Amino acid sequence: MSRRTVRVLRLGAVPYAEALRVQERCVAAARAARGPAALPGPAAGRGGAEALPAESVVLSEPAQPVYTWGLRGAPGAAAAAALRARGAALVAARRGGHITFHGPGQLLAFPVLDLRRRRLPLRAYVAGLEALVLRLCRRLGLGAARALPPPFTGVWMGDSKLCAIGVHCGNHITSHGLALNCCTDLSWFEHIVPCGLEGKGVTSLSHELGQHIAVSHVLEPFLDSFQEVFDCTLVSSEDPGD
Amino acid sequence: MAWRALRRVGPVLAPRCPRLPRLPLPPREPAARRLGTSSLLLAARKFTDKHEWISVENGIGTVGISNFAQEALGDVVYCSLPEVGTKLSKHDEFGALESVKAASELYSPLSGEVTEINAALADNPGLVNKSCYKDGWLIKMTVANPAELDELMTEDAYEKYIKSIED
Repeated sequence: MSRRTVRVLRLGAVPYAEALRVQERCVAAARAARGPAALPGPAAGRGGAEALPAESVVLSEPAQPVYTWGLRGAPGAAAAAALRARGAALVAARRGGHITFHGPGQLLAFPVLDLRRRRLPLRAYVAGLEALVLRLCRRLGLGAARALPPPFTGVWMGDSKLCAIGVHCGNHITSHGLALNCCTDLSWFEHIVPCGLEGKGVTSLSHELGQHIAVSHVLEPFLDSFQEVFDCTLVSSEDPGD
Repeated sequence: MAWRALRRVGPVLAPRCPRLPRLPLPPREPAARRLGTSSLLLAARKFTDKHEWISVENGIGTVGISNFAQEALGDVVYCSLPEVGTKLSKHDEFGALESVKAASELYSPLSGEVTEINAALADNPGLVNKSCYKDGWLIKMTVANPAELDELMTEDAYEKYIKSIED
């Protein structure tokens, strides 16, 4: 079977809300790629399901600090006000996982994959995200990084979380994804209980390696690891394809 | 008609009325079509291609996810369900199940109004894994358009569908 192509959209340093908008367009493209029968309305005339890759991965570095939460973990009014007072935005996201922080120095990756097309169960997809980050860590010299079983899904160095995972799956199409701390200012995490897990810490690649690791530094090894784990060829694009 | 009046007794038995054996049904498929729009008595479980099931009894549909779906999700840790009274159209998103840091959308198999949600799931969301066809039901809803039931897969058709997507 020939290797499928996945579009990679490198947004650079953009607001979190912008990354979400691009992601939405990628999700629409993935739905449309299932064929005219999958969508009513104007898109129904679209033919050539294989003309553009149906799947994408949106990469960004959040330009401003933002706290987000999933189905659970919304801060109460007082906590929300306190977080805003520190200069962060607050955004609800329809994904798994509790409250977490996104901001400069963090690689945010939103793979928009068609799990039905890949015949991949959701929990295997999440395990794939962990495997991808573990490969990246090994490439960067962090062989001690570990994935832990639920409820500690994510990638850890000891008791400190290096990479948070929180995904959404609708009609077998994934969105949201992972947030890898490269040189994130970890003090932002002190004002929340990250992912609702008491007694656990957070860390970053820079902190673990003892040197400044910028997001740009990890992009290539991240994409290499992605291609290996998800058996695809990544093609750079600026077009969400919708 | 007299037989319909007796069948409507269902699980709530009047003291004078002994429980009668179910009348044998003519061998035509699917059950919902045969009974017509005037009586959604007990239709066999039907399935969607998104792995939800619905089973209609006395005009009320019980909705859940299939065994295939619960295995694919992993351990369910939280169920986000709609409020009673929510009106749904077929295919509408009506909630989500959380497992392994993943929120999976739930899609309404039919059009109707939510009459009940499974309160047991608040404290025991794992029922969706342990008993997806029974104690792990998600919502109950009215059936606004019984013809929509005909568009869903029978259990046999769903089994074939699963085999086709698994290879």
